[in-house]
Amino acid sequence: MAITASAPVLEMRGVTQWFGGFRALDNVDFHVEPGEIVALCGENGSGKSTLIKILAGINAPDPASRLFVGGREVPLPLAPGQFRDLGLAFVHQDLGLARSLTVAENLVQGELGSARARSAISWRREHRRVRELLESYDVHIDPQVPVNLLPPVGQALVAIVRAAEELKRYRDRADVAQSILVLDEPTVFLPESGVDFLFDLVRTVVAGGTSTIFISHDLAAVRALCHRVVVLRDGRLAGQAPISEIDDRTLIDMIVGQESGGLVGHTHRRSGTADIGSAPVVASVRGLRGGQVRDTSFDVRSTEIVGLAGLLGSGAEEVPYLCFGAQRSEAGTMVLDGRSIALPAFKPWNALAAGVALVPADRRRDGIAPMLTVSENATILVNDRYTRFGAIQGRRLAARVDTLVEKFDVRPRRPAALIGRLSGGNQQKVVLAKWLETGPRLLLLHEPTQGVDVAARAEIYRLVREATEAGMATVWVSSDFEELVAVCDRVLIMADGVVRAELTGDEITEERISAAVYEFSAQVADALAEAAGIVAEAAASLGEPATATNTATELTKGPASDVDN
Amino acid sequence: MSTTEVAPGAPGTPGAAGSPSGPALGTSGGRPSGGADRYVVLAERLALPVAWLALIIIYSILRPDTFPTWTNISNILGGIQAVLFALALAALMPTMAGDFDLSLGGIMGLTAIFVGWLNTFQGVNIWLACLIGLVVALLCGAINAFLVVTCDSDALIITLGTGAIYLGIVFVIARGELITGIDRALSQATFTTRLAEIPLEFYYALALMLIIWAVSSFTPLGLRVLFVGKARDVARLSGIRVNRIRWGGFVLGGLLAGFAGVCLLGTTGTADPTGTAQYLLPAYAAVFLGATTIRPGRFNAIGTGVAVYFLATGVNGLQLLGQRSSVQQLFYGGALVAAVVLSRQLGRRH
Repeated sequence: MAITASAPVLEMRGVTQWFGGFRALDNVDFHVEPGEIVALCGENGSGKSTLIKILAGINAPDPASRLFVGGREVPLPLAPGQFRDLGLAFVHQDLGLARSLTVAENLVQGELGSARARSAISWRREHRRVRELLESYDVHIDPQVPVNLLPPVGQALVAIVRAAEELKRYRDRADVAQSILVLDEPTVFLPESGVDFLFDLVRTVVAGGTSTIFISHDLAAVRALCHRVVVLRDGRLAGQAPISEIDDRTLIDMIVGQESGGLVGHTHRRSGTADIGSAPVVASVRGLRGGQVRDTSFDVRSTEIVGLAGLLGSGAEEVPYLCFGAQRSEAGTMVLDGRSIALPAFKPWNALAAGVALVPADRRRDGIAPMLTVSENATILVNDRYTRFGAIQGRRLAARVDTLVEKFDVRPRRPAALIGRLSGGNQQKVVLAKWLETGPRLLLLHEPTQGVDVAARAEIYRLVREATEAGMATVWVSSDFEELVAVCDRVLIMADGVVRAELTGDEITEERISAAVYEFSAQVADALAEAAGIVAEAAASLGEPATATNTATELTKGPASDVDN
Repeated sequence: MSTTEVAPGAPGTPGAAGSPSGPALGTSGGRPSGGADRYVVLAERLALPVAWLALIIIYSILRPDTFPTWTNISNILGGIQAVLFALALAALMPTMAGDFDLSLGGIMGLTAIFVGWLNTFQGVNIWLACLIGLVVALLCGAINAFLVVTCDSDALIITLGTGAIYLGIVFVIARGELITGIDRALSQATFTTRLAEIPLEFYYALALMLIIWAVSSFTPLGLRVLFVGKARDVARLSGIRVNRIRWGGFVLGGLLAGFAGVCLLGTTGTADPTGTAQYLLPAYAAVFLGATTIRPGRFNAIGTGVAVYFLATGVNGLQLLGQRSSVQQLFYGGALVAAVVLSRQLGRRH
């Protein structure tokens, strides 16, 4: 890759971003050379997204922050959409495609409004043109196929081609040689075999005169594709280096950091002397498969809080929903208090009856009915215990709600208030109260403190710990590793749909969790890359398309594993 | 105290995927927090009953000889208006569970014609015919439930289609003609026998309203329906059997529409295949208007009842004032639009 000595295509100097009292970015310098693929790495909350959102015109940074595009200074903040006039294009994780429309329609859409679109569209001509266009990027996809019938890789390729075409039109229009493609976690949901296609495409696009910013957790992908890596940590530039001059260990240390910060709330952990080993197993999950989860097994004992940690796409975030029957699993059993449950046939109402509780991450959509009252939300699952002759005994129920509101410290103490008007933390306390009232045996928590203030967070830790110590088993999935350290008796590390490691006792530190999560993700990727050839051969002999080895295979024939439902 | 969020998705827009999200009005009930607030809540809850009272007073002043008479009161409460009352309660059933059913008018017409046809052309005993008619209505509701809930399709579009099918069957059965000569026993049981000058069918519908009100307000089932209607995903992830409750809404809606059909047959004494499509609009107008009163922000039975007779009074008075009966549609349509818009504006006020 020839990197010329001209000015950087993009340069950000001294970028600082405050959100209220929180400094998300602190004096960060960042630049992209012409023809370069730069990886932007860092943990959740390290400031990657904040930086990118400044380019997208969503965030307004501090006045001292400066931005140069092609050597010319551009005043910040950018207006939303202004990035198009600066020769920037974004491909986000959700790809932003109209999924029910065809590939051609998605690609032609960008040209609508231009002069040539005023005449009637000849679809035959468009299909031919789009086919040629895709071929020019060495992408072999039928333009007439609806996007949602493509495998995930195919969808990602279409999104990237669309962005590349947008940039090409910009370069023609503005008569410049350079533009910038921003890829935001594009590989998370892709099978390893598909990533190669994506990398080939990105290299093709870069060769055409586009620099690329590649945001990813996937260190193997970073190593395979990028020229230089830039690491952010806690809003600061943690380091940068040409990828060939840095080994994985150093890179992970750079991302995770060495110093052990002040970890709050160790008090919620079980004391070291208490023996968990003798407590009976409450829930035993075996061979769970579904979504990104491939083959996961784990036990949770009575009085135990087990943390699940993994990067986005590792499958960890799907485990609670699979175990609750809210997301369909393909295989797996769960033995709950000695009773065996086939998970593929498990439904939420079975879960409720069996004593499984789920606190979902998306509280506003899945956790609370905002237009109903605190009282109604808290008692919906147990109000049939407060009936006589089929009618609810309002006074008895109200007395119980008063007790609950007190016990769970719901503020304000007004059961008749609409829950939608409470703060996030208080809403979550009600959700917790709702489930703990059912007396569950297994409590599944997914990001239970997302959007919850510090005080309520501590309260939630305490409530879950108390309920667990009364004999319940708890699974706690969180991307906030500090939180896992604060509450968990044991932490399981997931990568690529499988439990890879277990941390217990003193091993549970934020650094170890982070390190393990990244290390295993990288290892998995390496191992898979090696195995890909063998797998592809085996698949070919079984008559399936060998997508890993043959770039010319029509992607549309691959398994449409991500059909939108 | 008296606020809510604006509900996602305007009620009745296809974009809302056939789920009436409910008027975003202030809630009520529970403990009022402060003086001024309490009056706002009370005013919201009582606005419609007060408007109804105002209509009655105005019409009584304008037409003192014809409006406030027992004959006219019987006219307003019984007869066709009682049929509409029953149909509005039918429409309330799927609406409470967050669905729409536009086929209820068709189900009502089908039941009326089918019962009349069984009784006159097939010589089936009138009570047996009514029973069979109700079973048919229930099956129509079950077909809707299967297509919308089990097959997971858009409720608006599906029931628009099935409603047309049910009405089509009406025309096939009746060959487009009036069916006359129906056993007078049915008329006696619904329309001609009166209690305090008011036809019996009014009391039937009133009893149904009270039952629906009691079940929806004071039983665990009623609260589960509320959750399904207001926050379907939450209900699902809380282990509530959402589909079962939605099935119940369609099936009960069908059954009640069948009951309305039986009342219609008893009231008119003839089965008219052409006259049933127009009932759906006022029924839904009453359901949505009813959600702005008594328990603002929630679809509720008593509010629906009040709204039915608010609309009936309004139309009756306009006719006494010499307006043509075609003004009805204007009035009903206006009320439906006003109810929905007003409640959303009120919801945004806070």
